[in-house]
Amino acid sequence: MNFSENNTTSANAAPIIELSHVDKHFGSLHVLKDISLTVKKGEVVVIIGPSGSGKSTLCRTINRLETIDSGEIRIDGTALPEEGKKLALLRSQVGMVFQSFNLFSHKTILDNVTIAPIDVLGKSKKEARAEAMDLLKRVGVDSQASKVPAQLSGGQQQRVAIARALAMHPKAILFDEPTSALDPEMIGEVLDVMTSLAKDGMTMVIVTHEMNFARRVADRIIFMDGGSILEENTPDEFFSHPQTKRAQDFLNSIQAH
Amino acid sequence: MKQTQSSIRDVLYEAPGPKARKRIAVITVLSLLALAALAVAVIRRFAQTGQLDARYWSIFTRYTTWRFLGYGLTGTMTAALTAGVITFFAGLLLMMGRISSCKVLRVLCTVLIEFSRGVPTLLFIYFFLLVVPQFGIRLPALWKVALPVAISACGVVAEVLRSGVNAVPKGQTEAALSLGMQRRSAFFKIIFPQALRYVIPALISELVIVLKDTTFAYIVNYSDLMQNARVLISNYDALLSVYLVTAVIYILINYALNKISVAVARRTQ
Amino acid sequence: MNAARQIFKPCRLFPTGRAFCFLSGPAKGDNHMDISALLTQYGDKYLQALLTTWKLTVFSFSLAFLIGIAITVIRVCPIRPLQLFGDFYIQIFRNIPGAALLILLVYALPYLNIVLSYYTCVLIATSLIPSAFCSEYLMAGMNTIAPGQIEAARALGMSFSKIMKNIVIPQALRSSVLSLTNLLVATMLTTALASQVPMNPMDLTGLVSHINTRAVGGVTAFLISAVLYCTTAVIIGQIGTRIDRKVRILR
Repeated sequence: MNFSENNTTSANAAPIIELSHVDKHFGSLHVLKDISLTVKKGEVVVIIGPSGSGKSTLCRTINRLETIDSGEIRIDGTALPEEGKKLALLRSQVGMVFQSFNLFSHKTILDNVTIAPIDVLGKSKKEARAEAMDLLKRVGVDSQASKVPAQLSGGQQQRVAIARALAMHPKAILFDEPTSALDPEMIGEVLDVMTSLAKDGMTMVIVTHEMNFARRVADRIIFMDGGSILEENTPDEFFSHPQTKRAQDFLNSIQAH
Repeated sequence: MKQTQSSIRDVLYEAPGPKARKRIAVITVLSLLALAALAVAVIRRFAQTGQLDARYWSIFTRYTTWRFLGYGLTGTMTAALTAGVITFFAGLLLMMGRISSCKVLRVLCTVLIEFSRGVPTLLFIYFFLLVVPQFGIRLPALWKVALPVAISACGVVAEVLRSGVNAVPKGQTEAALSLGMQRRSAFFKIIFPQALRYVIPALISELVIVLKDTTFAYIVNYSDLMQNARVLISNYDALLSVYLVTAVIYILINYALNKISVAVARRTQ
Repeated sequence: MNAARQIFKPCRLFPTGRAFCFLSGPAKGDNHMDISALLTQYGDKYLQALLTTWKLTVFSFSLAFLIGIAITVIRVCPIRPLQLFGDFYIQIFRNIPGAALLILLVYALPYLNIVLSYYTCVLIATSLIPSAFCSEYLMAGMNTIAPGQIEAARALGMSFSKIMKNIVIPQALRSSVLSLTNLLVATMLTTALASQVPMNPMDLTGLVSHINTRAVGGVTAFLISAVLYCTTAVIIGQIGTRIDRKVRILR
């Protein structure tokens, strides 16, 4: 499954996600400080940093699950609406995969993947189901299609969540710490799916702690701490030559284990 | 940044945009007006029918009124606590019979529990009022209230206790037995105290129901709050105000009990 | 068998002349009736009383359910005054004793020039009290939904009404089946309040007191009503458990 016109990301590719001077406060806490970020079509951007740095919040502002105090967010050139049908439309074009999977517990796996294409995009049941089975096959859980989420392992549930996001043919997918709630032996299967998505040219914004994965898959690493973007670089450059002290400390504290 | 635990009430409506904020503000004002109008209409009706007259409400400025209601409340509490104690032990016995290994006992207790849960308290009260005297048994009024209320509640208490026992991890029994304890003492020393701790909030809720049931004491002529309210009414001819105040007293007591139940539940969490 | 007659003085005769007196002990010197005599004389009345109880239960529960849904919607909406009103309603009607409410409706309202029929008063009492519990159970059902699922639905582009239709309402209802079954049984038990007012036809509880003031029905008269109540409760419970097993959501 191919997501881009050409197989490579070109420097002139249109920006899918643009954040300009985004600021956010939680009460008196300044959680996002003047964030500016551009994600081009087909790019895989990985955001890393210590907890409390605001990376999850940043991810969630992109589809307005969190509001911003000032600044601008654009999806594929359109400013992010504040409410209503237009916002719902834009949300349907940006997929999201959550740390706690958030599958709908009362629906089967197949229904979980088909419900949004049917109810939001207006697809026919037949078409949606056929596509859903393809996607489930692609992520490796097609044999579980008639089960309910509680019967699946964490890794399987997360892969279904990815299929659910893919079923909407999104322009980009946001990943908010997708493997943080998984047992170690299941992290690999989810990361494999994400790697293959990246290879096929999907635009991805990933918040994660998995450094090896980031090094392999990312086009760009964003390092955040205390609500600001401190470093932005290619993976090789960042991991071998971190430029700020905070980044150096962070990488050291991870290698120590 | 970790988000704090949110319940469904917070997440159902997302942060409103400008249009939604305006709509919410407008509807808030409208609903405040509507509620105010409702309150005004009620007060007006009271005034029109003369129910706001001082003679109906001045009795509540007198200490004797409140003392008399206080006696009634004592009666209510006595009946409720008596019924509460009986129902607890009856429920305990029924629960133990329900989980016993003897099949006959199990079936008998299941039937008794279903019977207690399926019959209204009023019917039990009529049984003690009308049927029991037919056998020559004369009970004081307190027992004519406390016993039927207790019988009506003991089935629920039995099931509540049983759910508590089932909630205790099986490992506890296994550990106790492997230490050489007898089944009986393992149950009472290890399992039951834990089960009780789980279900105290539910037992307090059941106490609220018992208390509400004691209001039927007027049927058997027992001096509880309702009964004393009646006497006040016949003495001062102030029916509406007295009944309203009585109802409010009951509501406040039960509200307090429910709050205690929630607080206990939170502490044992 | 000398039960002292204790007639409770009616509080006040209403302008319409209705009096309200509570029944007391059995008349002296009547024959003790056994079950066959009871059934021949009162069999059809028992059937009528059973149907009356069932009808009252069904009406009350339906009303309670509709009101409960309305109150839940009010309690959940983002308008603060309405939320507070809904919470206030709940606290009133889950804490007020049924007898107190019925007495207010039958006795106190006429002083405000609102005179309702006995049946209406009973229906109001047996609907409003369960409606508060219904709303509590529906809220509890809603709280079983992980908030993240709402966010996921939102992230997929579902509007508020779609989220309610696809995620919230199905899960809330399916999680409340057992509680609502218990509520139906509790409503049936609450309809015994109908015995406190003159009603024709009588309900099962009123019939027992009626019989025992005219004859010595003994334990049998009581048992017939009790068994009828009990059997209904058990059947309702069984049906509810079966439905719950089918629609229960695994988590």
